Formats: sequence, C-alpha cells, structure tokens
Amino acid sequence: MSTPILTTKLYVPPPRRGVIERFRLIERLNDGLYRKLTLVSAPAGFGKTTLVSAWSAGCAQPVAWLSLDEGDNDTSRFLAYLSAALQTVTAHQSSVAEMGDGILGSFQSPQSPPVELLLTNLLNQVTTAPEPFFLVLDDYHVINAEQVDSAITFLLDHMPPQMHVVIATREDPDLPLARLRARGQLVELRAADLRFTPAESAEFLNQVMGLKLSAENIAALETRTEGWIVGLQLAALSMQGRSDSASFIQAFAGSHRFVLDYLLEEVLQRQPEAVLHFLLQTAILDRLNGSLCDAVTGRADGTALLEVLERGNLFLVPLDDQRQWYRYHHLFAEVLQTRLMDKHRLQVSGLHERASLWYEQNGLPAAAIHHALAAQNFERAAGLIELAWSAMDISSQSATWLSWVKVLPNELILTRPVLSVGYAWALLDNGDMEACEARLQDAEWWLNTSGHREERPEIPATEMVVVDEEVFQSLPATIATARAYRALALSDIANAVKYAQQGLRLTPERDNIRRIVATSLLTIAQYAHGDVEAADRSLSDFRADLQNAGSISTAIGISFVLADIKRARGRLHEAASAYQHALQLAASQGEPMPVGTADLYRGLSALYCEWGELETAAQTLLMGKKLGEQVPLTGWMHRLCSAEAQICAAQGELERALDLLNEAERHYVRSPLPDVQPVAALKARIWIRQGKLSEALAWGREQGLSADDEVDYLHEFEHMVLVRLLIAQYKHGQADGGILEAAGLLERLLQAADASGRIGSVIEILILQALAHEARHDISRALVSLERALTLAEPEGYVRLFVDEGAPMDALLREAAKRAIASDYMSQLRAALGHTDARIPSTQLLIEPLSERELEILKLLSTDLSGPEIARELMLSLSTVRTHTQNIYTKLGVNNRRSALRRAEELNLL
Amino acid sequence: MSEAATEHREHPRLYEIRIKGHLDARWADSFEGLTITLEEDGCTLLTGPVIDQAALHRLLRKVRDFGMTLLSVNLKQGNPHE
Repeated sequence: MSTPILTTKLYVPPPRRGVIERFRLIERLNDGLYRKLTLVSAPAGFGKTTLVSAWSAGCAQPVAWLSLDEGDNDTSRFLAYLSAALQTVTAHQSSVAEMGDGILGSFQSPQSPPVELLLTNLLNQVTTAPEPFFLVLDDYHVINAEQVDSAITFLLDHMPPQMHVVIATREDPDLPLARLRARGQLVELRAADLRFTPAESAEFLNQVMGLKLSAENIAALETRTEGWIVGLQLAALSMQGRSDSASFIQAFAGSHRFVLDYLLEEVLQRQPEAVLHFLLQTAILDRLNGSLCDAVTGRADGTALLEVLERGNLFLVPLDDQRQWYRYHHLFAEVLQTRLMDKHRLQVSGLHERASLWYEQNGLPAAAIHHALAAQNFERAAGLIELAWSAMDISSQSATWLSWVKVLPNELILTRPVLSVGYAWALLDNGDMEACEARLQDAEWWLNTSGHREERPEIPATEMVVVDEEVFQSLPATIATARAYRALALSDIANAVKYAQQGLRLTPERDNIRRIVATSLLTIAQYAHGDVEAADRSLSDFRADLQNAGSISTAIGISFVLADIKRARGRLHEAASAYQHALQLAASQGEPMPVGTADLYRGLSALYCEWGELETAAQTLLMGKKLGEQVPLTGWMHRLCSAEAQICAAQGELERALDLLNEAERHYVRSPLPDVQPVAALKARIWIRQGKLSEALAWGREQGLSADDEVDYLHEFEHMVLVRLLIAQYKHGQADGGILEAAGLLERLLQAADASGRIGSVIEILILQALAHEARHDISRALVSLERALTLAEPEGYVRLFVDEGAPMDALLREAAKRAIASDYMSQLRAALGHTDARIPSTQLLIEPLSERELEILKLLSTDLSGPEIARELMLSLSTVRTHTQNIYTKLGVNNRRSALRRAEELNLL
Repeated sequence: MSEAATEHREHPRLYEIRIKGHLDARWADSFEGLTITLEEDGCTLLTGPVIDQAALHRLLRKVRDFGMTLLSVNLKQGNPHE
C-alpha cells in the first residue's frame, strides 16, 4: 500500500477533561460484548464520540478504532484502514496489500474486486485474536457507498464470536438492523438515551464546570437546549467567569434563535481577537498541527494557540498521544466554516492553497490534492494528481484517483498525457472500455512527434505539460499494455497479443509490476489464441521469477493457469505436478490457505477424472469445495458446478450432470481468462449422448455454428461437439451429407491443433475422426486414426477421452485389440468401459488420510457393535464418536456404514 | 409518484424546509439559493428552488450535519417559473 495509512484515524480519542461519567450508558455499551453490533445513532453534538471513547478507555477488552472520513467511500482504501485497525488488536502482521497481491485475481474479475475475499482473509486473521474485542467505526454517516455497507454486512454475518462492532453515526446505517434487532444481536443508543438527563445537566454545569447555578436556572437551560450536549457545553463556556449567569440564562431562554447560533456567538465574542481569527482560518483543516496551522495563518503561534484551545475546552480533539495532531469537533468545525465563508469569503481559497502547499512539502499527497481542489487551483491539483498516479494505480486505489481527476477541467487533462493515460487505466478498472480508448488517443497525440498530427481542435493550442517525467518516459509501454487489457476484455485476441508484446518490449527491465501485468496479459492472450507452447514457456519462466522474488500468492495464481495450459498441451503429468507444486507452496504459507487454492484442487480433480479415477476425482473436488466455501472467489460456483457435472457425466448420471450444468450457467461470470469449455457446449454433448438430437441441434443453431466455420481455439470445443452431433445425425439417417462436412471440419481442426502443439485436442480430434470413419463402416481407416490417438494418449494415461464415446469406441477398441495395438493400455481402457477382464489396480491413497483415532473407530464399525457400544468401548461420548464417524465418511467419500466398510476394504484400511 | 417521474433537470421545484429555532442570516451561504424566513412560532423556513432530488438530499444532509432539528419538507409548487 503506497498511500500511507494515517495512524491518526486509528487513534482512540482520549477522554476529554470536563466530561461527566455516564454509567448507565457505559453499562449498555458493555452489553455489546454479548451482541454483534452496538449502534450509537444520534444527531451531531450528542456526545457520541466522547461517550464511546470514554467507554473504550475503561473497557476490559481491546478496542480497534477507525475514524471514518469521506475518502473511505473508496472500498479499497476503506479495507486498507479496516485491516490496519484490526491489526492493532489481533497483532497479525500480513496486510491487505499482501492479501490483495492476487494480480491474477483481478484479471478474473476486472470490474468487481473480490471484496468478500479480502474480508474473508481479514476474518481469518481475526479468528486468531486470543480474546474478545471491539471494532469501533466512528462517523459512519460519511459512508454513502453501498459497497462499504455490504462489506460491513458481510463482516457482521461472518465474524467470529470474539469480535463485536460499535458504530457511531448521525444517521442509521444501511445495514440489516431489523434482522439484528429481532435476533437480539443489537444494542442501540439513540438521541433519547444520549441527551443529558436533568441530573446529568446539573452535575455537568455545577460540578464539572463549577458554575454554581440554581436548580431553576439549570432546568431553564435543560429545557432550552433539550439536553443537547453541545448546547449545554457552549452555554457553560459562555458563563464561565461571568457574574450574571441568571440574566444570561434568562435572555437565552427567551430567545428563539437556533441554540448553536446564539451560544457560539457568545463563546466566540469572548475570545481574544487572535484566537477568534485562528479558529476561523484553521476551520478549513480536517486535521491540525502547529506547523500546518502556521502555514495556513502565516503566523508562528500555532502550537501555542492549539494548547490554549485545548485548555479552554474549545472543542479540540487530540488525534495522538504526543499532542501533535488535533481536529475540531466536527459540528464546531462545520459551523466555524460557515462563519468563515460569511465573513472572509475571499480569503478561503488562499487558505486552502497554503494548506495544499504544506501537505505537499510534508509528503501527504492526498491531502495536498484535496486542498488544491478546494482552492480551485486546478493547475496545481493536476500536477499533484499526476504525481500521485503511478503509486496509486499500483495500490489499486483507482476509484479515489478517478474521483479527483473527474473534478479537473477537461482542457487541463487534454494537455497532460500522463494524466490522460492514468485516466484511461482508471476507466479500464471501472469497465469503461470506450472512454478508455479515447483518453489513450489524447495522450498519443502528444507523443506523436512526427509532425503529422491529425487536427484535434478540442486539444488546446498550448504546450504539452508533463510533471512526472519518469512516468512520461514509460507512456508508450503503459498505453500498449492498457490496450492489451482492453482488447482481451473484449475477446480481441490478435490485438491483445500485439499490444501485450509491444508493452513488454517497451517496459523497462526494472519496472516489475508493469512487467507482471504485461506478461500475464500476453500469456493469457497466447493461451486464448491456442498458442499453448509459447504460453507454457513464458508462464513457466514467469512463475520461476515470481517465486524467486517471493511473490508466492501470485505464483500460485499463475500455477493454476499454467496447469490448464499444460493440459491443453496434452501433458497431464506435468499439469498434475504444477498443481501439486502449487499446493505445496500454498501449504507452506500455512493457514489461511492462499487465494486460488480451491481451484488447484478442482484442476487436480479434473485430471483424476480424465485418468478414470472417479472416486479420487470426487474426493479431490470435495477438498476444493470446502476451501472454496471459506474463500469464495469470483466465478467459483460456476467452475465448481461445471467440474462436478463432468464427474457425474463420467459416472453415467447424465440428468444430474445437466442439472449441475444449468446451475453452472446461472453462476457464469465473464473473465479475460478464456472459457475453453463453454457450459452450453457441455450440455449439448450430454444431449447427444442421450440421443436428444433436436435439443443439440437447437444449441448449434443458437451458437451459429457450422461445419464450414473457420477454426480457432476459442471455438474448438464447440466444433468438436458439433462433429459429434453430425455423426449422430448421420447414424440416425437424418443428414447424410453432414458426415463429409464433419470430416472436413475435423481435418482443419487437426491441422490447427497440430500446428500449435495442442496434443490434448489432437487426441480428441483423432478419436472423432475414428468415430466418423466407424459411422461409415470404414473400420480400417478408423483404426489408423485411433492408433495414432492411442500412441499419443498412452504415456499420459488418458481414459475418459476414449471411454466417454461409449459403444462405438468399445467396438473400435475390440477391433484394435485383435490387431494387438497398444495392448496393456487397451485392456485398461476396456476395463473402464465396463469389461472386468482387466481391473485397474486402485493404488490411489486417500487425499486426506484417516487419523489413528478414525482408524480405530473404523475397525469397530466393521464389527457388530452399535454406536453407543463403540463409544463405551473407547470411553468417548457418543457425540464424539458420531463426529469421528462423520469425518471417516467424508474422507472416504461415502455416506453410510456399509459403503464405508466396502471402501475401506478396497483401500486395505481394515 | 407522477411528481417524481416527470421531474426534469431544467425545471427546479420550489421546496420549503422547516427547521426548529431561528437561524442567523449567515446560514444563507450554506443553503445557497434558499430564502431564510423566521416564523413567529420560533421556526425557520428555508424556501427556494431545488434542482432535483440529489440536490434536495444534499440540503437535508447539511441540516443533519449542523445539528438542526428538521420539522418538515414540503413541495410548494412544481415549477417556480410558472
């Protein structure tokens, strides 16, 4: 995270002097220990922050504090602060930046960052907290971003029992309050609870402020202010050192003026000129320290005046222990600002200007930009925004950056190529493809120094402005990479490859992050284009680099794509070791498992499925399923259902497979990673197996598929299903000519797959060729194709690719067996087709071995003992035995005692 | 319903926001474009054209942030220029 975390936002404001103890409210806050959420909801000036901070100071449990501001409407920034706040109580060292390392993760869903994933990781950290604790979110009313509300809702739904949330806000937050209330999970403190009772007013005015007022006068003040705490405080300040309190109260009580107007006037009138001036001038600052105040006021007494204000109880809140940073009470600051605007309007932009300068000199760009924009000094703001870009883009705070740049006048952006390109990337991140290209062209116009610039009347006829020279030098690379990203998102592979290569060529060696982005894009583009050999090479090197550089989670994300690519190359064993290698890396990271681990199990499961080890495939997928539930990645449900469907189909449960595919379809999320086996095509393939040719035909029409199509990798799978359809139709006597068209299509598919080294595809196409010949009773030509397929498939142990073709394949294999083609392998395949003459030895061990205790229970399960008897035998409680038994079933992939015993026998566990 | 549905950017509507207590004239700036009228019952009326719902909500947020007590919000008429 390159934008620094302001630790002042995490600081628990210390209890103020001159505050009364409010035991009844403290007790209610303590009740929060037995609830999920405590909501302190009341208008400004009701003492919310004061109450919660006083409670925090005396709280027996640790408290993580986060003071929210407008900037927290940017979800990534909010999450960074949330994580930092939680770290103050969980003492866990990994940061959101590290968790968000999944650059590949962001490719999987460019438009919606996996917020829930980050939150899940956060919650996993929180689970390690040794004792109950509170998270306080102060000033929650500044949040109007739905995403932040959903993040908090997610947090409330999933947080571990030791975590409790306290929210202080001026308006009720958009959280499921009614539900929490109904379930008794909510403590509420509202205005009616917070306002001073008559007794509290009396204590405050007379004891804390030492005013010696009569009961009658106290009652009058109480009535006039309605227990509004800020009103009573201002009243007390106005009366301190005054002899005529009674007449003051009379006059105040008799006035209709808004309490704040009346009393603030009184308080300010009593300040020396210097203090009054200081208050108004510094009211524009969100945070104050002596040096910053001096810069803004042009004086040298900032530190001294801040001390005066703090001593005088003038609504100054310390933000750290060193008494360096302060802020005004929000309501006080807001009212001071209206007075500043009223009295010294012309000074205001100069004040912001000076604040901006101070923040810039002190290395706090975000605040410097905020004040430059407030000063309406757009030139200055543009320069600062430009300088902030490269750091902020990398830390994926593009939403904040975008919100700044959108305020700038367009003419300013047009003359600044770095800003234009930054704008383009921020638009990409937000899914606005067209606007992105336009901004890239604006930047390029300036880069084109050939003298043949096209007419662009909207670009101001001035000089180009460049502030960040270093980023300017890399613009050609950045522009190319942005175009590659855009093209890939639009499935324009040719351009994605072209631009990614260009970007890589232009990116300097030392610019690691941009190289990672360009390389990933290039490889995904190569893969989508079917150039699996090239993609394999570059991704393997890249993974090694990442691992050497210690970017383990990115390396894991890469492994999953790499294994897919190796599968496409027909290298199943290499794919398996890529998955296993990544699983080892993941395991070495310890709990929580890194992002994408679930997908590794899913990929491994698909390999077992292909090898005909369906039980192992199902168990492996189950492991992934459990992990996937803990860390839900975008599109996971889609991939999971699709994988489950393929195992079901292999087991012959075609209807169940179709149900799962329908569910997968519902969860489909578009991503730049190529969808090489579209769900619709998988469904059509099952319909063909079921003989439902009219459904399959409708699919072909809907997708606009024809045997004359040009072939490319993204449509390869669909074309192979189309071939199966044409063969099935021929066999049903529906379309005689189709079989010749199918042969032509197969020939072209084979050439393309051969040329790119996609051996997995080559084998499948050869199988289809064999089946097409078989359909026309040309057995000898069929066997030529089949023999080549078998030769290629044997070393990698392909099973399902043959077996899924059913009876015609069985017939062909029998013919081949007669001619002694690949005989050992042949018997393995025929066994999988249901012939028992050659059983495959089940060498596969359990993915997750049984524990000693589970083995012990398994042995007893094989006896006649009942559950309670087993419990007695082992001196365990019945429920413990049940838990163990359930674990045994899960690990064996069964759901009752009898099948557990059968499975245990197969695995020699008894 | 039809009120909101036919709302149009070019035709601001006249709103009347009632606040408890008499507001000083200096608030006029914060509620730009609205007229501040002090009523005899001790309330303040902020009256003026409001361009759309988003602008109305911004005004209400100011009422909230200044700790003022909101009593009512009324739509006076559809188009102040009519």
